[in-house]
Amino acid sequence: MSGSTTTSIRKTKRVLGLFSDFDQAFNVITDIKHYKVPGISVDDVTLKSPIEHPEIEEVLGERKCHVPKFSFVGGLVGFCFTFLFLASAQANFLAQPQGGKPVITIPSNIVLAYEMLILFGVLSTLTGFVLGARLMRKPKGLYDTAITVDQIGIVVEVSDDEIQPLKAAFKMHNVLEVHEESLT
Amino acid sequence: MSEQEHLTHEQTRDIDENIAWAKINKDVLKSMENPRAGYWVALVGCMLLFSVMIFAEVWQYNYGMGDALLNTSHMWDLYISTFVFWIGMSHSGTLLSAILHLVHADWRKPIYRFAEAMTTFSLMTAGIFPVIHLGRVWNFYWVMPYMSDRGIWPNFRSPLIWDAFAITSYLTSSVLFLYIGMIPDLAICRDSATGWRKTLYTFMSLGWRGDDAQWRNFRFTYLMIACFLIPLAVSVHSIVAMDFAMALMPGWHVTSFPPYFVAGALYSGCAAIISLFIALRYFFKFEEYMTMPILDKVCKLTFVIAMFWTYLNLIEFASVWYGHDVPAKEVLLAKAFGPYSPFFWSMVVFGSVLPFSLLSKCVRRNMKIMMTVSLLLNVGMFLERWMIVTPTLSLGYHPQAFNVMWPGWVEWAMVGGSFGWFGMLFLIFVKVFPCVSMYEVKEMVYHRKRHAEADEDAMIVLHTGVPGPKKSQETGGA
Amino acid sequence: MPSLLGNIFKSWSDYSKGNEEGGFHKYEHMYAMAIDLNKCTGCNACSTACYAENNLAWVGEERFGARQAMNWMRVERYFDEPNIGNETSDSLDHGASFLPMMCQHCSAAPCEPVCPVAATYHTVDGLNAQIYNRCIGSRYCANNCPIRVRNFNFYDNAQTAWPAPMDQGLNPDITVRSKGVMEKCTFCIQRIRGASDTAKREGREIQDGDIQTACQQTCPTSAITFGDLLDETSKISKAWKRQQVELGVYKQNKENPEMRGYRVYEELNIDTKVLYLERVREV
Repeated sequence: MSGSTTTSIRKTKRVLGLFSDFDQAFNVITDIKHYKVPGISVDDVTLKSPIEHPEIEEVLGERKCHVPKFSFVGGLVGFCFTFLFLASAQANFLAQPQGGKPVITIPSNIVLAYEMLILFGVLSTLTGFVLGARLMRKPKGLYDTAITVDQIGIVVEVSDDEIQPLKAAFKMHNVLEVHEESLT
Repeated sequence: MSEQEHLTHEQTRDIDENIAWAKINKDVLKSMENPRAGYWVALVGCMLLFSVMIFAEVWQYNYGMGDALLNTSHMWDLYISTFVFWIGMSHSGTLLSAILHLVHADWRKPIYRFAEAMTTFSLMTAGIFPVIHLGRVWNFYWVMPYMSDRGIWPNFRSPLIWDAFAITSYLTSSVLFLYIGMIPDLAICRDSATGWRKTLYTFMSLGWRGDDAQWRNFRFTYLMIACFLIPLAVSVHSIVAMDFAMALMPGWHVTSFPPYFVAGALYSGCAAIISLFIALRYFFKFEEYMTMPILDKVCKLTFVIAMFWTYLNLIEFASVWYGHDVPAKEVLLAKAFGPYSPFFWSMVVFGSVLPFSLLSKCVRRNMKIMMTVSLLLNVGMFLERWMIVTPTLSLGYHPQAFNVMWPGWVEWAMVGGSFGWFGMLFLIFVKVFPCVSMYEVKEMVYHRKRHAEADEDAMIVLHTGVPGPKKSQETGGA
Repeated sequence: MPSLLGNIFKSWSDYSKGNEEGGFHKYEHMYAMAIDLNKCTGCNACSTACYAENNLAWVGEERFGARQAMNWMRVERYFDEPNIGNETSDSLDHGASFLPMMCQHCSAAPCEPVCPVAATYHTVDGLNAQIYNRCIGSRYCANNCPIRVRNFNFYDNAQTAWPAPMDQGLNPDITVRSKGVMEKCTFCIQRIRGASDTAKREGREIQDGDIQTACQQTCPTSAITFGDLLDETSKISKAWKRQQVELGVYKQNKENPEMRGYRVYEELNIDTKVLYLERVREV
C-alpha cells in the first residue's frame, strides 16, 4: 500500500480510526486526497469496511486488480490443455477401430474441454483472489472487531510528525476511536 | 406467535431498511446456536433415512443389483431418474446467486446463501447415484482419466464421462462459489465466536479484514465466478439430458431435451427453495430476513419457470407426435395410456396445473399451503424424471423386450435415503455456517436506504425548490 | 510423450475420418452370420449350445421370469396379429414364427460410444467385443441396445449356477463372469482365437470353415452360416451377395425385391452383421 511514497521520512506508526458512517470516512479520505492533511498521501490509506464500497475508488483512485487476467489465462489453458490431452489419449487407444467413427472425436472433446475451461478458470480465479487480496497470510496491522459489525476503519501509515494532523482530521469528522501501533 | 402472524401479513417491503447492522449480526449468529426443536427432529429424521440407504447399499454391494428388480430391459430405472432429479435441484442455487447477481436483483441477498448450499448438497447427493448404480461400484474411479501403466483410458465419447467431468466441475465451482461468498461472513463469525468455532472460522476466513483491496478483489472474483457458473450450470444439465438424447431409444432421442431439462431443473430447484425457505424461516426465526415479499417474488419466478417448462414439455410431445416415428409415438402413447399413466397424469397435474395456484396472493402468503404446494411441485418433477426414464425402457424397439417393471425395495430405499443424506448435510451446514448472508443484507439495507433518501431529497427539491439535507447522519445505523 | 503427440500429427487424417469416408477401419476380418428362417424349427438347440459353450449361468425360474436371465442367444416367438386369441385350430399353424436373436455385432454399434470405460469396443476382426474385467456395470450399453441382447449379471451367478460337480463341466477357454458385469454373444471368440492360432501354427491363412460357432455346430437343420465377409470365396460372402445385402448402408439396393435376405433395424443405421433369410410360407 505504501509503495509509492517517495519521501525520505520513515513511516513509524500505523493509525486506525473508526467511524460510525461511511460518509465520514469518505470525507476523511477526500481531505487526505486534497492534501488537507500534511504529509499523508492517499496511497498510504487503507479502508476497512464491513460491506463493499466500490464508490471509495472515487477518492482512493483506481487500484489494480488482476483477477480477470487469472480467469482468462486459466480458462484458456484449461481448454487447450484438455483438448490436447484427450486427443493424445485417444490417439493412443489400444483398440483403434471405433465402429466406423473417427478416433479423435472433435465434438465430444469440445464438450469436455469446455467443462475443463470452466473448472480451470474458476480455480485460477480463486488463485488470483487469494494472491490479490493477500489472504492466507499472517494478518498484520491494526484491526478492530467492530469493523465486521458496523464501523468503518481507516488505516494510515504515518511518520511521527504526521500523527497530530491526522488525528485532527479524524476528529473533525467525528471519529469514534483511534488506535495506534508502532511499525517495527 | 402473534407477532409472527403480524409480520406475515403486514410485511410489504423486502426488508426493513432501518434495521441496525449490529442486530443483523446478532440475529444470524444466534441462529447458529439455538434453533427450534423442529430442527433437531428434522436432523434425526434425515439421519435415520440415510441409514436406510446405507443398509440398502451394503445389501446391494453384497448381493448384486438384482434385488432392485432391474431387468434386461430396465437397466436404470429409479437410480438415474433420481440422479437427474437431484442434478436438477442444484440449478436454482446458481440461478439465484449468479444470474440474479448479474442483473442486480438485490432481493436475492437474504436467501441466496441457503440456495447456494442447496446447490452444493444436491450435487453431492446426485453424484452418489451414478456411482451406486454401477454393477461393480468398487471400480467407479475407472471413469477418471488418470495415467495408467497399461495405457488404458476411459471412453471420451460416452455421455457418462461428460457427466463425470461436468459434475466434477460443477461441484468444485459451486463449493468454491459458496465458500468465497461466505468469507466476509466467516470473518464476522470469527470475530464473535469462541471455542472450536473460533478455530474453524479463523482458519476458514483466510485472514479476511475487509480491506479495500480485499473487497475489490472479492468483487471481481465473485463476478468472474458467477460468469463462469451460469454457462456451467446450463451445460451440466444439457449434458445430463444428453445421457438420454445421445441414445437412440425412442422417447429419449429428442433434440429438445437439453433446454427442456434445464427448464425442469430450474423449476424443481425453485420449488425446493420455497420449501427450504419456509423450513429455515421457522427453524431459525428468520421472519425479518426471509420476508413475505421475497417469498412472493420467488413464487412468481417459480410460476414463470413452470410455464416455460410446460411449454417445452408440450413442444417435446408435439415434435414426437408430428415426427411420425412409430416407436417414439408408441412410447408417448404408452406414457399417457399405458401402465405408468397414473404417474404421468400426476406429473401433468402437479407440474403444469398446480403452479396456477401460485397466481393467488392468498396461497402465496400462507406458509402451510405454500409448503404443501412446493413439495407437490417437486413430487411432480420427480415423477417427470421417472416418466422420462422408465416408459422408454419398458417399450423401446424390440417387441421381445417389452415389459413393465416396478422398482424393488432396494431402489426405493436408495431414493428415500438420498433425501435423508441431502437433508442431513443441509441441516448441519445451516447450523455451522451463517445461512443468511450478513454482509449482503447490510449492503441491501444500506443501498435501499440511500435510494429512499435520494428519492426523498428529489421530492423535496421538486416541491420546494430547495435542496434537502444531503445525506442522513444515521446511515449505516450503530 | 513424443509418441503421445506424434501419433496425433502422424495419422490425423486417419483419426478424423468418420463413417461417411469409411472411417478408421483397417479390419483384418469381418465375421458375420446368416440365419435361414426357413430352416429354423425353433428347437432352441442353439440356445442350449450357447449355455454350454460360453459358461452361461442359469438363474432359475423365478429370476428368468423377472427377466434377469443370462441367455446370449434366445429363440423369439412371434405370432401373426390377426390370429392372436383366435379360436380356430389353424391359428398356431399360421401364426407362429421364430427368430433366433443374439448380439448382431453392429459395425456402428450403439453400445460402443456410450460405454464410459470403453469396455465394449470393436476388434480388428469386425467383432463387437466386451472386456469383462474392464466393465464397471454402468449398463448404458444395454440401455442403448435396440435389440436388448446384452445380459447383465444382476446376482453373483457364479456362486449359484454350478453346484459342486457341475463346475467341472465349465468351458476352460472362457471366463466365468462375476456379478455386476455385462456380457453378450461374442460369436464364440474363443473358437475364433483357437482357429487362428492353429492356422498360425500351421503357417497358413485362416480358411473358411475353420471356425464354427457353437450355435452353428448344434443347429440340426444347419440354418446358421458363419464366416469372414472379407474372404470373397467364403460361404457367408456368397450368401450375402446372393441376397444382395451389403454392409455399410441403411437401405439395401436390391435389384430383385423377392430376395429374402434382410437385416434387423437397418433404418437405425447400426449396420448389423447378421443376415436373416425371411421365412416363406403358404398363405
